[in-house]
Amino acid sequence: MTDIAITVNGELRKASVPSETTLLQLLRDNFQLTGAKLGCDVGDCGACTVIVDGAAVNACLMLAVQAEGRDIITIEGLANRQVFHPLQQAFEESGALQCGFCGPGVILSAKALLDENPDPDVYEIRDALAGNLCRCTGYTKMIEAVQNAARILRGEPEISSRMISR
Amino acid sequence: MNERVKLQEADRVEAKTPEDLRRADEDLRLPAIAPREQYPIDVRAPEAREQTNAVGQRATRPDNRLQGLGQLKYIADFSFPGMLFARIKRAGIAAARIVRIDTSAAEAMPGVMAVLTGSEIPVNSFGPSYQDQPVLAQDRVFHAGDGVAAVAAVTEQIAEEAVERIVVEYEPLPAVFDPIEAMRDDAVRVHEDGSNIYTSKTIRKGDIEKGFADSYRIFEETFRTQMVEHVPLEPHAAIADWDANGRVTIWSTLGRITLGRADIARTLKMPMSRIRIAGTIVGGNFGGKNEITQEPVLALLSKKTGRPVKGTYSREEEFLATTTRHPFIMDYKTGVTKEGRILARKIRLVLDGGAYCSWSETTLGKACILSSGPYKVENLLVEAFAVYTNKTMTGAMRGFGAPQVCFAYESQMDDIARALDIDPLEIRLRNAFDEGAISPTGQVLHSVVVKESLAKAAERFGWEARTP
Amino acid sequence: MRPFQVYVAKDSEHAVSLLCEHAPRAVILAGGTDLLVDLKHGSKPWDVIVDISRAEDLNAITLTGEGLAIGARVTHTDIMRSPVIRESAPALIDAAHSIGAVQTRNLGTIGGNLMTCVPSMDSGPALLALDAGVTIRGPEGLRRLPLAELFVGPRKTSLAPTEILVDIVIPKHNLGKPLVFLKFGLRKGQALALVNVAAGCRLNGGKVWEPTIALGAVAPTVIRAQAAEAYLAGRAPSEQNLSETGRIAAQEAKPISDFRASADYRRDLIAVLVARALRQACAGTEIEQAEMIA
Repeated sequence: MTDIAITVNGELRKASVPSETTLLQLLRDNFQLTGAKLGCDVGDCGACTVIVDGAAVNACLMLAVQAEGRDIITIEGLANRQVFHPLQQAFEESGALQCGFCGPGVILSAKALLDENPDPDVYEIRDALAGNLCRCTGYTKMIEAVQNAARILRGEPEISSRMISR
Repeated sequence: MNERVKLQEADRVEAKTPEDLRRADEDLRLPAIAPREQYPIDVRAPEAREQTNAVGQRATRPDNRLQGLGQLKYIADFSFPGMLFARIKRAGIAAARIVRIDTSAAEAMPGVMAVLTGSEIPVNSFGPSYQDQPVLAQDRVFHAGDGVAAVAAVTEQIAEEAVERIVVEYEPLPAVFDPIEAMRDDAVRVHEDGSNIYTSKTIRKGDIEKGFADSYRIFEETFRTQMVEHVPLEPHAAIADWDANGRVTIWSTLGRITLGRADIARTLKMPMSRIRIAGTIVGGNFGGKNEITQEPVLALLSKKTGRPVKGTYSREEEFLATTTRHPFIMDYKTGVTKEGRILARKIRLVLDGGAYCSWSETTLGKACILSSGPYKVENLLVEAFAVYTNKTMTGAMRGFGAPQVCFAYESQMDDIARALDIDPLEIRLRNAFDEGAISPTGQVLHSVVVKESLAKAAERFGWEARTP
Repeated sequence: MRPFQVYVAKDSEHAVSLLCEHAPRAVILAGGTDLLVDLKHGSKPWDVIVDISRAEDLNAITLTGEGLAIGARVTHTDIMRSPVIRESAPALIDAAHSIGAVQTRNLGTIGGNLMTCVPSMDSGPALLALDAGVTIRGPEGLRRLPLAELFVGPRKTSLAPTEILVDIVIPKHNLGKPLVFLKFGLRKGQALALVNVAAGCRLNGGKVWEPTIALGAVAPTVIRAQAAEAYLAGRAPSEQNLSETGRIAAQEAKPISDFRASADYRRDLIAVLVARALRQACAGTEIEQAEMIA
């Protein structure tokens, strides 16, 4: 067993887990943070995406040991006491998700992008979401939602998705 | 708020993490995730008895908010006290007789609570049309993805390891993988009792001989489509809990829970009234979660162990052991006038059905009806066959056979247009259904707007302005 | 995953001592994007994982008297963001960008990409075309190897079980040399290369000098198309000569047919991509990665 101490959503968390535990298993099984999903378990689908030290990574491809001492943000840490994260609001407004299984991963990939690049173009958004597969809806509304969230974050007036789709 | 204050007090006694706090004070129950209050609670619900407009309103999905917050609970996110984890051993051989299954090494492993084989299943067959699929292969293996044994263990890791330690001795049998080959009289039989052609359908309309005789030209072509897996992002998952009153509750990603319950009742040989199925939020179905898979196995493992048992398919199992879209082999023979009007069409469809029927009957029927396309075809013959092969079973997937035939008839439409030097849009307009047209099976069609749709689409994407 | 023990190496020397203690049952973990998949599904029973993802001496991108040294655990994202690399070997940035997706690029390392040694690796061709060398640390200390000698076959390098890759060095004289990396995958993101190509040259008096052409995914390892290079050297970069160079490169490759593409299709791709890469390198123009990946 290996002792792990990591910061998850701003809170120091500890666990004692077998060495072969992935970060995804640590988050889901030990910390009950089930927002990150297991889709393919080999880093193809992005359903397990979390943010580690500011970078979006596949939690299924990282050992818990490798996360020791690092700062993790999961989807559960995205809403604060007053409001949603603008991405969550924009995704809800745009109806960007259908079954929703890919959603937490997509939103975290988008957050990692917007944290670095407050005004991404469509190509940059596509590039940032390339590691998140969706089988239901497609990516058009997601891209709209990310653009809308970026506008909110930049303090610009929001263009409602109803206006975009017309 | 109260808990926050407690937290700060506890902090002072050098507690560094929530886990420390739990150890320091068992009464202090910190939520595993941040408290619910932090989410904006502006629930958009009308007052009681308040009439709201539905038409003209913009609707958002009620689960959208939970999805974005990561709070929607899929089966993988459920756990129950004492819950065990199941894994199924896959055959890995397309056709074989099972000589012996030795589960002793697996059963001896610490942490393994139960092992199940096909012989322990009360009625070891199921299927929505024909009950030709074993829950776990018993005497014979029909395709490589067949389950041959299952394990319930205290962790997924132990269950996986235990499955590796199950030894199955096979006597390999000849297999058939090509549906055309499988249709021959001397072909290897996938299932011992009867022909590989397990369902067929014929549609006859008008007089095709005369139609072909009157034709200016006849076009013949074979079109093939491939096998497609649904790949829902969420793999198949279920939890079964067989309680001490002899009732079983199953949480499942199953889309058709009522049908599923009937199938489960059959396999477990118990009345439906003792089976409760909770259909949960599903992370993508697309037709691939329309029938039962591992539910009876989990139920029986739960019965054996007296504990809830959870099973989640791996991504490999999604490809190997769940239904897929039928590969079609489609022979199209079409006679047309000089102007490109279809006079006669003869179609043969061969559906690669894989090892079990699943939803092949439905797919076959729908494919037949739609095989001549949205076009007026007075003289038509459609013959269609669904054929067993020793491959992953094929079943329902978005469109039930419609996309496959659409690929064929539209491809041939383009071939004809090119050969007769007719504009591809024009040839479709000349043949398309009008209001009141009659489908190949005699259905009178209303609200037919094929031509209008085509014209509008052509206008929108600038068909006139194209560069050839 | 089956149980294993993880040791965290604080630097490359520590990693080697851990390998010496546990070889041959030990394996290096850098980014984990290949190794974890292997551990989950592969048949190799590794008992010990030596985690170098915190090794202090493997993380730098530095210009030295010798050239540009890239530490083995530098991630693909690090490469994409490195001003030094953008300045001196921009083809590496295109190669890094073509790998996987953001999440895998944030984890995956250049050293891991080379050491996994799959023929379709995207880091290989550009480095091979720049005559890169690799520094290896073993129990006896450091040694230097031309990159080409690292590759032995699919998933097989020339390193001993007690050795680790320390850095990759691009020789000084090749920094800034016009080089173009092109990849053809079945989609833009998360796709392995059907064929990838790095080709470059210098122009002198209207003639091609020092042409270098490296090909990936078309032989057991990443290879140099030497016959094609020899043909082009000293000739004018005319359309005809570039096409012929592509044709020769396609002939000397040994692609296989698999579920992704047939050998014939891959040969056609080589001919087209080699000529296109050379054309762009000769023009000295920046290339748009977006246009290249079909």
